[in-house]
Parts: sequence; structure tokens; C-alpha cells
Amino acid sequence: MKKLLFPLIALGVIALMGWGYYQAMYAAPTEATMGDVQRIFYYHVPNAMLSFLFFAISFVASCLYLAWRRNQPSLAQAADAWALAGAEVGVVYCSVVLITGPLWGRPVWGIWWTWDARLTTTLVLWLIYVSYLLLRHFAAGAQMQTLAAVLAIFGALDVPIVYMANRWWRTQHPAPVFGGSEDSGIKDPHMLAAFGWNVLAWAVWGLLLLAIRIVVERRQQSISGGEARAALAAD
Amino acid sequence: MGHQFLIAAFCATWAIQLGYVVWMIAKWRGQKAKLGSRS
Repeated sequence: MKKLLFPLIALGVIALMGWGYYQAMYAAPTEATMGDVQRIFYYHVPNAMLSFLFFAISFVASCLYLAWRRNQPSLAQAADAWALAGAEVGVVYCSVVLITGPLWGRPVWGIWWTWDARLTTTLVLWLIYVSYLLLRHFAAGAQMQTLAAVLAIFGALDVPIVYMANRWWRTQHPAPVFGGSEDSGIKDPHMLAAFGWNVLAWAVWGLLLLAIRIVVERRQQSISGGEARAALAAD
Repeated sequence: MGHQFLIAAFCATWAIQLGYVVWMIAKWRGQKAKLGSRS
């Protein structure tokens, strides 16, 4: 039964992704002024929202790693695996945002990119977490984990700035769809349904990736621990 | 024209997401091989 559980969950997630695709490409009506290119919204916005969630997971896990690293090392290692997995999946989602955004901007604005507050802070967020992943790849040891945790906490401080950027400053980026002015929000119920299904589908997909990455990292930790013990025994 | 950008966005999204899945599978298989050679 346990062996069947993962394929069943994976199949459910793939079916949900397929349903989300159908909703975005066929069920949602074509937007009057932008046409078909507006459908990029159903990928771009859920990926942006969920990148915040995964960076938040990395932030919380990094705080826990710093709190537990001296007194509860085994729990700290678990928190470190969560922090790494959250940062990685967050970077994947943020990369989608940074690529689909310009692909929407070119036909609608006439430009691929502009250095407005929302776009720039998003790029900075992506760069911080890419540097986090590079640090983890090229450095080693307990000191690396501590430095990485501090970097993840600093990176997460950019998340509220990205979120508030088009509320605090006048930006080329469209006004917030949700949580903006009183008349913000999706008015068409079919568009709202397509958006909701895609948020759900991308959330479940991302959580599956997160779970797999945590398992892979926990296994890596046990392999590295075994190698360290073998090296000590050889001495 | 909008259609081409939509297709490009769809392809880029899945190239990134599936690229990450393939990388994780490769890492998993590498670990499996390492554990196999040790035992």
C-alpha cells in the first residue's frame, strides 16, 4: 500500500495540472483587450504567489536551524533540509515568473523589461536565493549551513518588499489583482475559477516537489554522515 | 501574435519545472548508486 501511495499522489497531481491547463487555455474566456496572451496570467501569478510560500518555508526552517543547531542537531539537520528544499523550489517558481513576465510584457507593453520597483525587487529576490544555492553547492561543513540560514533569512526580507512594491510605488507592472484598491479582483467568474484551479494545481505540484526534495536531501545527509564516520574510523 | 507568446510561456514554464524534476531524479539515482557500491 505504501509503495502505491506515491504513484497515486503523483497521478492525482498530474490530473489536477491537466485540469488547470484546460481551465487556463479553454474554459476561461479570452480577455477583450489583450487577447490570448492574457492567459499567461494563469501561470505567472500562481507561480509568483507560490514562490513567496516556498521562500517563507525556507525562512521558517532557517530560523529553526539556527535555533536548534547547538541543542538539537538532528532536528536542526531536518530543518536545514526543509530550508534548502524551500529555497530550491522557490527559485524554480521565481524563474518561471521572471520568464513568463517578459513574455507577457513584450506584446502588451511593447518592451521585454523595465527597471520598475516590482520587477527589480523580484529579480533581486531571485538573485539572493540563487546565491544561497551557489553557497550551498560550493561550500561545505556546519559553518556553510549557518551562513546559508542567515542568507535565507535576509532573502526572505525581500518578499514583503516585492509584495508591496506596486502598492508603495507607481510601477509599470499592473496594479495588484487581489488586496489592492476597492475595485481590484477578478470580476468574471470563469476567469476567477481558472485562476483558483491553477493556484491549487501549482500549489499541489510545488508541495510534491518540496516533499521529494526533502527526502533526497535527508538521504544525502545520511550518506555524508556515513562518509564522515568512515573517515574518522579510518584515522 | 499573442498566441506565439502564450505558447512560448507555456513551453518555458514546463521546461523549467520538468528540468528540475529530471535533476532531482538524477540526484536520487546517483545516491542509489553510491549506496549500492558501499554495501
